[in-house]
Amino acid sequence: MVTNREDVGIAIRSAFLKKGTQQKFSLIFLIIISIIFLYIDTFQSKPLNFLRSITKDVIYRGSLAVSLPGKGFKISFQSLERHFNVREENLRLKEENIKLKDSLYGIEFLKVENKQLKKLLDQEKKSTSLLMNTKVIIDKNSPFLKSIIVDKGAREKIKKGMAVLDGNNFIGRVVEVNFFSSRVLLVTDLNSKIPVVVEPKAYQAILSGTGKESPVLEYLPKNHEIENGSKVYTSGKDGVFLSGIPIGETKKEKNTIIISLYSDFSQLSYVNINLGEQYLDFK
Amino acid sequence: MSLIYKHFILKIFQLLPLLLLFFICLKDDSFFHFDFFDLLSLNFQYIIIYYWVLKNPQILGYGFIFLAGIITDVILGLPMGISSLSYLAIAALATYTRIVTVRVTLLTDWLTFIPALLLANLIYFLVLYFFDIPINYLNLFFSSLFTFLMYPFLWIPFELFRRLIRSSHG
Repeated sequence: MVTNREDVGIAIRSAFLKKGTQQKFSLIFLIIISIIFLYIDTFQSKPLNFLRSITKDVIYRGSLAVSLPGKGFKISFQSLERHFNVREENLRLKEENIKLKDSLYGIEFLKVENKQLKKLLDQEKKSTSLLMNTKVIIDKNSPFLKSIIVDKGAREKIKKGMAVLDGNNFIGRVVEVNFFSSRVLLVTDLNSKIPVVVEPKAYQAILSGTGKESPVLEYLPKNHEIENGSKVYTSGKDGVFLSGIPIGETKKEKNTIIISLYSDFSQLSYVNINLGEQYLDFK
Repeated sequence: MSLIYKHFILKIFQLLPLLLLFFICLKDDSFFHFDFFDLLSLNFQYIIIYYWVLKNPQILGYGFIFLAGIITDVILGLPMGISSLSYLAIAALATYTRIVTVRVTLLTDWLTFIPALLLANLIYFLVLYFFDIPINYLNLFFSSLFTFLMYPFLWIPFELFRRLIRSSHG
């Protein structure tokens, strides 16, 4: 028995402490270094943040380079697919164009009416919604975390908390800023909590990510009457995002209200960062 | 000339598992992530590390495993060091298994992969818990289960490749 215990001890010692054949570091040394890295990650200081930014930028660029052939293949395949569907799409677009032209007159009228009503309420805002177009460089399809990396960072005055849009639709917010890149936490991530307003009754709620395709609405009033298809916008209550950015539509599922997002997160190539009023202050 | 060429080819062959590990860590899309079922995702890195540290530790240095973990953390947006720690735990279990095992078969490899996966996930869970980062633990469980189930399917090509390296050596 003693011999067995000794054997285990020897095996553990040689596994952890010895460098082994052609190994430059022992396992225990690297494990300690990893723990130190984790500990350092909790500290925020200028030199450390500088080092982090450099490391992350280098790794993001490396990832972009590695993913390029795969992305190229994917794009080629998609364009080939589009090419074959072009005739069908053309007919559908013609029909859609006629419908849109019809509805345009109605929209114009609503715009004028909306402007007049805003004037009445004295809530007319100056157009400060500046958008910066950025390219998605990493779209790690991880089952755990839902985030993307874009190719603009502190150099372009990107700041933490800025809203990120796909076209005009809200998709997430900036959570990490490096020199040449930023990380965007998507609304589907478990850590994402966004204050929203649900139309038409203007219910205030929190849009919480679930880690799955559709986020859910939380903290709704008790006796709410939300129907399927109600539109959800950012409320601007946190003071960071502008209000009225469309996110998606409600869909009742058992006791929860999930949001069917306007944007398809698997198809993000370019996104807009809403620089808002903060950007104007810098200028 | 022929000897130099042979040596060069052997070096390239020996580098392939390492390059594959870095490629997977850097690639912005996991290899076996199926869109139709979100839970089916495979942690390819665990299998590569476990297999090569177990069978041929000269090919996959601990330093490179640590670096691969740092890259994974940066790409995934996790605290730097968490994946390194779980990868090194896998490597440690593989090294221990190599030392204590006399006869190696696919079954023994596969079964000893279970404690390695459990330890790696425990580390993952503990660090995320202390950092107060919520993740979907069901996804983590299914990912580990799928990684475990896929091990024999990757063991076979890896074993064939290892034999190829060995024959090039001799």
